Amino acid sequence: MLHRRIQQFFLVYFLGLLSLLLVKYLLNLSDYVIPGPVEIWQTCKSVFARYVFNVLDTLWIAVVGHIISIILAFMVGILGRHNSWIGSLIKATAYSIQAYPIVAVAPIIFILLGDGLITRLLIAVMICYFPLLLSVIGILSEPVDSIEHFYVSTKRMNWRLQVRIRAYENINKLTTVIAGSATMAVVGTIIAEFIAADAGIGYSIRTALYQSDLSKILTALFLIGIGTSLYLTGLEWVGNVIQRKCQI
Amino acid sequence: MKDENRGQGTWKSIKTIVWLGVWLFLLGRTGDCGELTPVTYRLKWLFNTSVVGDLYADVHGAFARQGIKVVVKEGGPERDSIKEIELGYAQFGVASADQVIRAVAKGSPIVVIAQLFQVNPLQWVYRTDTLSFDSPAAMISFVRGKTLGLTYGGNDETIMRTLLTKFGISEASVNVYSVRYDYTPFYEGKVDLWPVYVNAQGIVIQNKLEKAKERVSFFNPDELGVRFVANSVVTSQKMFSEQPDIVNKFRKGLIEGWQDAVALENNEKAVSVLQQFDKDTPVEIIRRQLAATRGLIKPGPESAVGSIDIPAWKQTEQIMLDQKLISVPIHLDNVLKPF
Repeated sequence: MLHRRIQQFFLVYFLGLLSLLLVKYLLNLSDYVIPGPVEIWQTCKSVFARYVFNVLDTLWIAVVGHIISIILAFMVGILGRHNSWIGSLIKATAYSIQAYPIVAVAPIIFILLGDGLITRLLIAVMICYFPLLLSVIGILSEPVDSIEHFYVSTKRMNWRLQVRIRAYENINKLTTVIAGSATMAVVGTIIAEFIAADAGIGYSIRTALYQSDLSKILTALFLIGIGTSLYLTGLEWVGNVIQRKCQI
Repeated sequence: MKDENRGQGTWKSIKTIVWLGVWLFLLGRTGDCGELTPVTYRLKWLFNTSVVGDLYADVHGAFARQGIKVVVKEGGPERDSIKEIELGYAQFGVASADQVIRAVAKGSPIVVIAQLFQVNPLQWVYRTDTLSFDSPAAMISFVRGKTLGLTYGGNDETIMRTLLTKFGISEASVNVYSVRYDYTPFYEGKVDLWPVYVNAQGIVIQNKLEKAKERVSFFNPDELGVRFVANSVVTSQKMFSEQPDIVNKFRKGLIEGWQDAVALENNEKAVSVLQQFDKDTPVEIIRRQLAATRGLIKPGPESAVGSIDIPAWKQTEQIMLDQKLISVPIHLDNVLKPF
């Protein structure tokens, strides 16, 4: 699974790089606009080790942020699965928070939490949790009549049982959504580092942008792709294990 | 009979379409006769006081008087006018000297046709309770152990590193704080020196802190001998050599716009232009910003607006060489095209 995913990523990345170089040579652009292959290779060699550590720094924040987002999305999803007043209030609050652009909220977060780890984590969670929440609410508010009917008619239904039944019956959807939202967690962390941190690969990209250094950005994108592929593969593996256990 | 009618109808429709096409073409041609040559001018930053002359030239017809039509486009952090010129999206643009030198070092075929800021607006704001930067000794004694705001990768980092080297201050003896667009760490007193554009954000910060009964001042590296050139106007070598007429007309119009915008007698006209484009800044702040800009564009009565300060460019290049931001000199003679 890992082998195939990495292979696919290499294919996509190098096709993209090739198209970029093709544009460079077709339009006769200077190395300032699009760097040449030699410059990309040399930059890659000089920043590779540093960027690997930066990507690892970003990835661990993304993983923690993703876990928090999953917990948060399930908590809000469970509370908001009913079409009751409290359910709609929770949904409205969640939607409103998501509607605020993160760059506008960032100064408030700095004042309250400074510009360290917690800020990066919080921004990553804010960006990642919403798509998860929408899917979780969708799944948990959809009744599984064929099973739930029995427990309702025998008056043994409670909220825990209802959530379990709906989650179990939609385990495939849930694992796909969770694996998919991992990308959002990585993107969220990079945005957080871009606007509110002095560490991680997002911060390195920001510095490279100031220097108009596309070679560094291309190296960073390559490593982000590898890191995200590894994380997604790990998640899919965990998802498969859970699904197999559920089937037993 | 029916077929004949249908054939005639089709023939009529074709004739109508052809005539319509010919008329539209002729109308278009007629329109062209009165049209001015359009060129795109990409600014470095958002519409604010730092681009007052560019906007003034546009609004008060300085470009039109030269017989050219200029589309002035707002810049921003993600915009790079040099790249846009090379890609053909713009014909003229504003770029900082370090951007120009870096681009030329990588083979970008651009030339500098004017230098807008004669004094670099990038300075550091600090609280003036006990500080003074009037001498190198004062700077050395103040900076040691203090927290300096720097934008990693930005030209403020280059300038500050040059200053530290020049005055023998080791980087270990200062704390460096990574700066973003949010000034909260400076307001909170966590950072002692914060890099700002003295004529734009500098005035806003000064105004805010004055309201809180705090006095601030600006540290200008230029006064301690570090002259790092800021915004300049660039175009492509091709445009410069193949269309010198348009380049000269553009330059004349632009310089006229800047001269008028910073002239004291046009103060209210310039303020009104800025209000038109920068609706979020209160007019009193705009007035102060404009006054600060005037001193950077025309620092003395003898200074010529738009003139290229070659010694300052040479120093900028040397700083970049010393800091290994470029590996070889770029032959400034081929890049700078003073008028």
